[in-house]
Amino acid sequence: MPTARLATLGPLLFAAGFAFLLAVLVAGLPFGAPPMTVGQAIQGDAAGTVGAANFVTAVVLAYRGIDTLGELSILFAAAMAAGLVLGRPGERRAGAAPAGFILRAGADLLFPLLLVVGLYIILHGHLTPGGGFQGGVILAAAFVVPVLADPGRPPEHRRLAWVEGLAGAAFIATGLAALAWDHEFLAPLLGRGTLGSLVSAGTLPLLYLAVGLKVGAELTGLLVRMTEADGEAPR
Amino acid sequence: MNDATTLTLYLGAIGLLAIGIGGLVLARHLFRVVMALAIAEAGANLLLVLTGFRWDAVAPILTGADRAPMVDPVPQALVLTAIVIGVGVQALALALAIRLRQAYGTLDLRLIRARMAAEIDGAAGLAPAGSRDRPAGERPLPPPQPAALPGETRP
Amino acid sequence: MIALAVALPLLAAFLLPLTGPLRRIVGPATLLLVAAIALNAWPRAQVEPFTVAIGGFRPPLGILFYVDGVALLFVLAVAFSCLLLWPWNEEAGSRKHALTLLLAAGCSGLALSGDLFNIYVFYELVAVASYGLAAGAGSGRAYAAAFRYLVLSSLGSLLALVGIALIYHRTGTLNLAHLGELAPTLLNDPPGLAAFLLLLLGLGVKAELFPVNAWVPEVYAGAERRVSALLAGLVSKLAVLVLVRLLVLVFPTDEARTALLLLGTLGILSGELAAYRARDLARLLSWSSIGQLGIVFVAFAVPGEAGLVAGLAVALHHLVAKPALFLLADRWGGSLESLTGAGRGAPLAGALFVLFALSLIGVPPLPGFWAKFLVLSGLAAQEGGLWWTAAAVILATTVVEASYLFRVVGRLYARGAGGAPAPHATGPLTGAAVLGLVLILGGASAGPLGDALGRMAGQAADRAAYIGRVLPVRTIERPGTLTLNTAPEARP
Repeated sequence: MPTARLATLGPLLFAAGFAFLLAVLVAGLPFGAPPMTVGQAIQGDAAGTVGAANFVTAVVLAYRGIDTLGELSILFAAAMAAGLVLGRPGERRAGAAPAGFILRAGADLLFPLLLVVGLYIILHGHLTPGGGFQGGVILAAAFVVPVLADPGRPPEHRRLAWVEGLAGAAFIATGLAALAWDHEFLAPLLGRGTLGSLVSAGTLPLLYLAVGLKVGAELTGLLVRMTEADGEAPR
Repeated sequence: MNDATTLTLYLGAIGLLAIGIGGLVLARHLFRVVMALAIAEAGANLLLVLTGFRWDAVAPILTGADRAPMVDPVPQALVLTAIVIGVGVQALALALAIRLRQAYGTLDLRLIRARMAAEIDGAAGLAPAGSRDRPAGERPLPPPQPAALPGETRP
Repeated sequence: MIALAVALPLLAAFLLPLTGPLRRIVGPATLLLVAAIALNAWPRAQVEPFTVAIGGFRPPLGILFYVDGVALLFVLAVAFSCLLLWPWNEEAGSRKHALTLLLAAGCSGLALSGDLFNIYVFYELVAVASYGLAAGAGSGRAYAAAFRYLVLSSLGSLLALVGIALIYHRTGTLNLAHLGELAPTLLNDPPGLAAFLLLLLGLGVKAELFPVNAWVPEVYAGAERRVSALLAGLVSKLAVLVLVRLLVLVFPTDEARTALLLLGTLGILSGELAAYRARDLARLLSWSSIGQLGIVFVAFAVPGEAGLVAGLAVALHHLVAKPALFLLADRWGGSLESLTGAGRGAPLAGALFVLFALSLIGVPPLPGFWAKFLVLSGLAAQEGGLWWTAAAVILATTVVEASYLFRVVGRLYARGAGGAPAPHATGPLTGAAVLGLVLILGGASAGPLGDALGRMAGQAADRAAYIGRVLPVRTIERPGTLTLNTAPEARP
């Protein structure tokens, strides 16, 4: 008994000690008055150079575009790895009955609503808070809710794989197109447009559209594959 | 008011991080480990976002209004990336958990570790590690059950 | 153009599930292209390292790739290793191909990047790709090992993220050169050191640093040997490279070096002593890998150019030797007892094993000897008990290494009936043979190779030149003031 207590006490002390250390370190930092070395410069530069009203989008897609590309790749790698681990989608569980009337009707109502909200958030990512990742998750929810209501009719994995692959390639192709126009990789193209209108900030809305479609397709495929993997292993 | 806000925010972030890390090292059940990871990542992301906070500043979006001071947009972009990375890793962890449940019949980490070690030894053709000497004297208790019983979970 | 070294493997990985009949050659072709890009940039980087601002945004606003000799060397190593260890005989499932390409892209990005958070993103890419590859063996032990690896690596990523938050909160920037400029005033105190330690532990998971290397034996024994070769040989070196860049540019303090030295020495001790007690070949090689990486850390802890040359030498030597040993272990998968007489039945494989074992121990004129010699001479030139203790530890563990490696070699060539027959595959030896050739060539050209490494190390160690190339205008005196080079880029 005492040794079991000790075994749990050790990690608890470690976590508590780590928290205390972190609290002491953080207490010395200027909360609420950050140095803003790069942040200030970006705020001054973004409207003129990138043309996006949402500075966070300007940072995500323009100043740190390759971070976003890496993020897309990480999600892609996770989906690939999960697909590798879970194996091919098994046969439909025979007799998986559709859910009750309320869930089915609700899913039918929710699907177009979620689709519209997701696309809105994606397309307005450079004007209001939001963007490709957030909207993509909502799109994935739009496609997964009907699967929960009727497990016998999941979306086709081939189509999802095509959307995923082509959207990701579109992101990189937009970046490579900048090379063709004698800029650096992932430089924003197509002019700034008028600040605050839907068609502005050059290629940024297009990039976010690619991101949104890719994330939506990826998460849908991942979630559906997880629900299908339940049961015996198809070794 | 400022001090209270500061204290609450930082306690929240560091508290989440500590709870998550504590759960990560302590939890025996696979799913709790994934949950603890999610909590810890939330705490770390909160800590990162707080580095951009400014008192009496607005969101970094141009709305045509007067140029009020804005919070730092860079940490928000960083956290966007970090959250998505966390989601990917958690999804993969759950996929592995599904497969582990199917392969070993249990989600108890200690059992899984023992069976994994036994499998590695078995694949290499080794006898499992253990003392080859008989204990001296009488055994007061019956020998412990081997951990590698298939399809059985310990209470 | 050099950004294509990262973008092309990503593009290939995204499109790989969609390419029908071309599937088999897309991956290797992409890796050859990456190697060609790196070779194309080589002459220019040898004259003077250059920077590439991704997106055209000048640092420190944007992210930049810093292309010097060391970076290009590692990009070439990435292409070479991934080609050599490519999953050729994977049938319809192209997921392993895609994961290997993603691993290659992430590793290239780690070698080239000059921005702290970009390094973190590429590090996570390498991590997730390696989780997938480790679990790809499909057996229960592979899943369990991959899960433990995931948990430990995610814990490390959390620590690294907290370290990045601390650094950003103090300095307001993420560019390595800019951080290097600000570090003497802002990061030279306990919070700065704490941030470095957090980053060290976080990024050190992949580098098999003590104490976050508990995942190593399980994953290397549970996954396919080819994947273990990639992780042990390639990925660990890139994690070390990233830590070295941080050390040289941002945290060139004595405390940071001492931390590296201490953890490296502990790693050597734990690795080699555990390898002595290992009973199967895969785990023996995993523990030996931990020990060798400890030597790499100790080498990089030596200040100045001498440390960089020694560290590069040991790292490159291990990058060649360890994958070869794992490939040979693939043939002889099994316990040490079952290896009895295996060397007589497969003379080329046995000879290769002996070659790599001798090089690991450090027998002249093989490259391993020169690498260890550089480390020991660098350590001996330092003052202080800790440095000489580290040198003594390296010498002592060389003896331990020799004993267990010779034990294996002895078994390989032993006569008489062996123990239980183990699954001895008779796969192709091309991979190990190519690496053996590289090792011999390296040993034969030790002089010019040493000079080239010395030049590259000199480039990499020159902190002021790095900062000067990235930030040509004196941009900062205090945080909060940033005068930019405001010449606008031409925009359509």
